[in-house]
Amino acid sequence: MAKAISMREKKEELDTVTIYIMGQGYKVPSSLTIMKAMEYAGFKLKRGVGCRAGFCGACATVYRKLGDYKIYANLACQTKVEDGMYLTQLPFVPANKAEYNLDEIKPSISTMLRFYPEIARCLSCNACSRVCPQDIQVMDYVQYSLQGQIDKAAELAFDCIQCGLCAIRCPAEIPQYHVATLARRLHGRYHMIAPDTLEQRVKEIEEGKYEKGFEELMSLSEEELKKRYVARDFIDQKKA
Amino acid sequence: MKYSYFPGCNLKTNAKEYEHTAVEVSKILDAELVEMPVFNCCGTVHSMVSDNTMRRVAPVRILSRSEEHQKELEDTKNTVVTLCSMCSSTLKVVNEEVKEDEEMLQKINWQLERDNLKYSGHSEVKHYLEILRDEVGFEEIIKKVKKQLKGMKIASYYGCMLLHPDKAKIDDSETPTVMESLTLALGGEVVDWPYFKTCCGSYHVVDKEDIVNNQVLKITEGAKKRGANAIITACPLCAYNLDSQQVFLQKKGVIKETIPVFYFTQLMAIALGIKLKNFEDHHVDPKPLLKSLGLI
Repeated sequence: MAKAISMREKKEELDTVTIYIMGQGYKVPSSLTIMKAMEYAGFKLKRGVGCRAGFCGACATVYRKLGDYKIYANLACQTKVEDGMYLTQLPFVPANKAEYNLDEIKPSISTMLRFYPEIARCLSCNACSRVCPQDIQVMDYVQYSLQGQIDKAAELAFDCIQCGLCAIRCPAEIPQYHVATLARRLHGRYHMIAPDTLEQRVKEIEEGKYEKGFEELMSLSEEELKKRYVARDFIDQKKA
Repeated sequence: MKYSYFPGCNLKTNAKEYEHTAVEVSKILDAELVEMPVFNCCGTVHSMVSDNTMRRVAPVRILSRSEEHQKELEDTKNTVVTLCSMCSSTLKVVNEEVKEDEEMLQKINWQLERDNLKYSGHSEVKHYLEILRDEVGFEEIIKKVKKQLKGMKIASYYGCMLLHPDKAKIDDSETPTVMESLTLALGGEVVDWPYFKTCCGSYHVVDKEDIVNNQVLKITEGAKKRGANAIITACPLCAYNLDSQQVFLQKKGVIKETIPVFYFTQLMAIALGIKLKNFEDHHVDPKPLLKSLGLI
């Protein structure tokens, strides 16, 4: 019996790791993500937390591992804790965001340089790509922007979730993820063809086709809404 | 023969016709320029500070990326080919520097290590003019000419970056002949003039246009005085300055006549029978001259 307990104790010991949150050590179960481990350690997260599914980019975390010179970064909700992690959260990244009217600008190198002249400072060190939790080739899309290849920049940056880690690592102080947004918007506005169905739907909305339906929904009680939600009918794609 | 070709930024923006004609010409001459799959900025102007390693990461990254590209190409050489003379100069200088300084190359390779890149130090950087002169040969070009450039009196403008510094020069700094030989091979007439490497004013076009205007005035008037009816160049920045500022000077009433500015590859394309796409990049319209000589 005593032996069994000690086995269990040993197992528990094996299954916990020590992490350091802003310098303070905590023993946490090894199966947790960084985010859950922080909550396990008693932190109540108000900022630096969002969708908990790797999509919103709110939970950027920077860390080192004991005895390893490298600096690592990832999303707290997507990364499992490891023994000896020294962690800090990066809930917000200060980065200037340009204001522009898409209808008044053109998809060209001069537009990119006008709103983000710092891209010309890129040293091609690639620190941005290495830190990216989405594995985006960040430096290459900055370079495409510099070459006026807006379409390639937009496509390469498609998976960006705007966590801002690239901007923090950049020795040239470029806010890469805002540059990417500009490239994608220009690409969408000037190169892509808007699908007919979208234009049709926007037109219908503008003409007020759905106002009546929404008014009806808004007037319903919570009970009635729930009932309708459960009984909702999906559109048959083949018939539609 | 195929060459790993590094375009740089200008060839994709202000000098598209330079790239288009160069690539088409290269296919006919069996010295094909194949673009690197991904490339970054050359670093524009090499660092004059000997221990600024960071500024040399960009050019060495290009050299290492090109080495990867060379592995994919069949029938190639350990050569990176450029068209822009600024890129050519920067890459050549840095290439020589890291070949001489193993420690610096090692430091830069540590920066590239995590991107699975490493520069061996065994590549050569060549401007396309060098390929034409040393590997294709003017005799071969003469054989491929379909339409001689009869009536074109061409002033070859080298600018600074093709001839300086010593580590980057593609020809004799004081008496270069490569563009003149090319002109003769294409059936054009060579204009001998002293302004072949007088500075075009370079980046001052952005903030001190006056400087550029004075230089452009000296260069273009000098060419016209010696009977030239066209200027050829290999540098997108020189081409932009010489071309756009002439239009400015004409509007101001400083000059009456303009002289068209071409990339050497555009004239090669005409002579080798390639249809030019357009003259969008030009400020001085070259069509009247080409039409009057029956070249388009």
